[in-house]
Amino acid sequence: MKRESVKAMLVGTLGVVAAMSLAMLASHVSPILGFNAFFYGAFGGKQQIAETLASTTALLFPALGIAIAFRAGLFNIGAEGQLLIGGLLAGWLGTRIDVPPALAIAAIFIAGALGGAMWGAIAGWLKAARGANEVISTLMLNFIAASLALYLVTGPLRAPDAAGPELSLLPHAYWLPTLLSQTRATIALPIALLAALALRYVLDRTWFGYRLRAAGEAPEAARRAGISLSRVALWAMAWSGALAGMGGAALVAGELHRFNTQLSPGYGFIAIAVALVGGLEPLAICVAALAFGALESGGLALQAAAAVPKDAIHVIEGLLVFALAARRYLGAKGVTAQ
Amino acid sequence: MTLSLVLSLLALALVRGTPILLASLGGVLSERAGIVNIALEGEMTAGAFAAALISFFTRDPWIGAIGGVAVGAAVGFALGFAATRWRVDQIVAGMGINLICTGGAAFGLIFVFNQAGVTPQVPAINQELWPLVILGIILAAALQWALSRTPIGLRLRACGENPHAARAAGIDPLAVRLYASAIAGALAGLGGVFLALGELNLYSDGMIAGRGFIALAAVIFGRWTPLGAAGVALIFGLLEALQFALQGNIAWLPSDFLQALPYIAALIALLGASGRYRPPAAEGKPYP
Repeated sequence: MKRESVKAMLVGTLGVVAAMSLAMLASHVSPILGFNAFFYGAFGGKQQIAETLASTTALLFPALGIAIAFRAGLFNIGAEGQLLIGGLLAGWLGTRIDVPPALAIAAIFIAGALGGAMWGAIAGWLKAARGANEVISTLMLNFIAASLALYLVTGPLRAPDAAGPELSLLPHAYWLPTLLSQTRATIALPIALLAALALRYVLDRTWFGYRLRAAGEAPEAARRAGISLSRVALWAMAWSGALAGMGGAALVAGELHRFNTQLSPGYGFIAIAVALVGGLEPLAICVAALAFGALESGGLALQAAAAVPKDAIHVIEGLLVFALAARRYLGAKGVTAQ
Repeated sequence: MTLSLVLSLLALALVRGTPILLASLGGVLSERAGIVNIALEGEMTAGAFAAALISFFTRDPWIGAIGGVAVGAAVGFALGFAATRWRVDQIVAGMGINLICTGGAAFGLIFVFNQAGVTPQVPAINQELWPLVILGIILAAALQWALSRTPIGLRLRACGENPHAARAAGIDPLAVRLYASAIAGALAGLGGVFLALGELNLYSDGMIAGRGFIALAAVIFGRWTPLGAAGVALIFGLLEALQFALQGNIAWLPSDFLQALPYIAALIALLGASGRYRPPAAEGKPYP
């Protein structure tokens, strides 16, 4: 690691600690007690670690997807919608099939990936075919996904046992096996880590990854070298959506055990921060997702134990993003808006 | 449809469109100066929250409005400062600001009012909404003129197209970008004020509901011109108004479809708009 990025991380960490202390003092809580509660909530025991890992998983899938699009120079802010549609398709398929559990779980993840890929590919196709700006299209698709999901689960797909805007419960056999018994940490985490490794390989070592990075970093040169920018846009958005959709499938099969339109409390948006803090590098994104996952679960514990509102954590996350943004190399890696 | 119905629909469209219009003008200004403005949503949130807060304590909605604009400007200044002096990635900084503002407002609700989700009712300016609507339209026209016909506008555009040439011509691109970002924050903040004290009389979590991002879409659809962005913002307002008007009147149309109407329309418009969108050349690129 470069000295500069070490320095930036140090400053970032110190800034986060200072900001959290301020938030605690403002809420009339001693920072010592507060940090105690925070760290206990994030890492204090089996249940706490499991919650951290569950949040990590929920953020990691969409963050990896976002990194694909950003590396291709596409500003995909539609992970939230892609995750929702992926989860919808996964949750629907899970209640419709009757196969051995391992096969069913594989099918649920594939359904999630397909749903997300389809939703991402709409934006990719609009970009490829009509030159449509992906910022607008992915944003609009987020809103449309929310309406579509609500319409389907309250209308045509309405479940007899639904208490809210949700589908039926998955058969118990299809619930993801847990890593730690009786917790929400499931095998979705190792699957996400494998996806990160695979993504790193694809980006760094394959022809597809090379074209994708070339299109992101020097589109004009890539075009002159015979790379079809339209095809890169279509496939990058599809794969980006596929990973976000797998995140939706993981939430459905691992946490809620059914599809609900309130599946994601904004994971798709926080994942943008995770991807950027991770410098759009798959392995660094895993670390960033763990940090954000710990903030999410520690923040909840802080709220319960010390009456510091959980929303303070979003301020902390924002400051973290801001501080780490000082690592200047981000700009060189294909993140360009519009 | 009778004439009065059409008129009330148009009136509703103007009211719904104005907050988006104001924020989109800010977006045009900062992007033409070379700063990508993902932070409009956060700036609107900050403006709305500050306005409700100040109006609650001073019991004067106009002081609240001024406060909201000032806080929006401060947020815009922070974005501009980070983007120019620290040279941080503007998109990253903007995302960070959005998180800080939405989280900060939610935290502030509990910290100040000791209740989650929503402020108490505050003195508002609901009766005097129309001056603000008209102000928005006048601002759009004035900005259009200023950007295209005045030396200041030329300088601002130069910083967004080619800051090195601007520098050579004796302009300080860092200062221009910083101030453009602050004014953009003020305009987005005014959009938030309009929502909190104009349409409603409180701040509640999630009340901006993506309008800052819609404003960003309006900037791009409007091809980075003030009148273009304003027009698109008002069309969004009209679609929202239509959604209200149609709700419950057409039995076979699911209400969720009406909810999604503005966004579906935007997607279809994207299909039709085959012309390339060309953003300012140096947008998003740190200088020097």
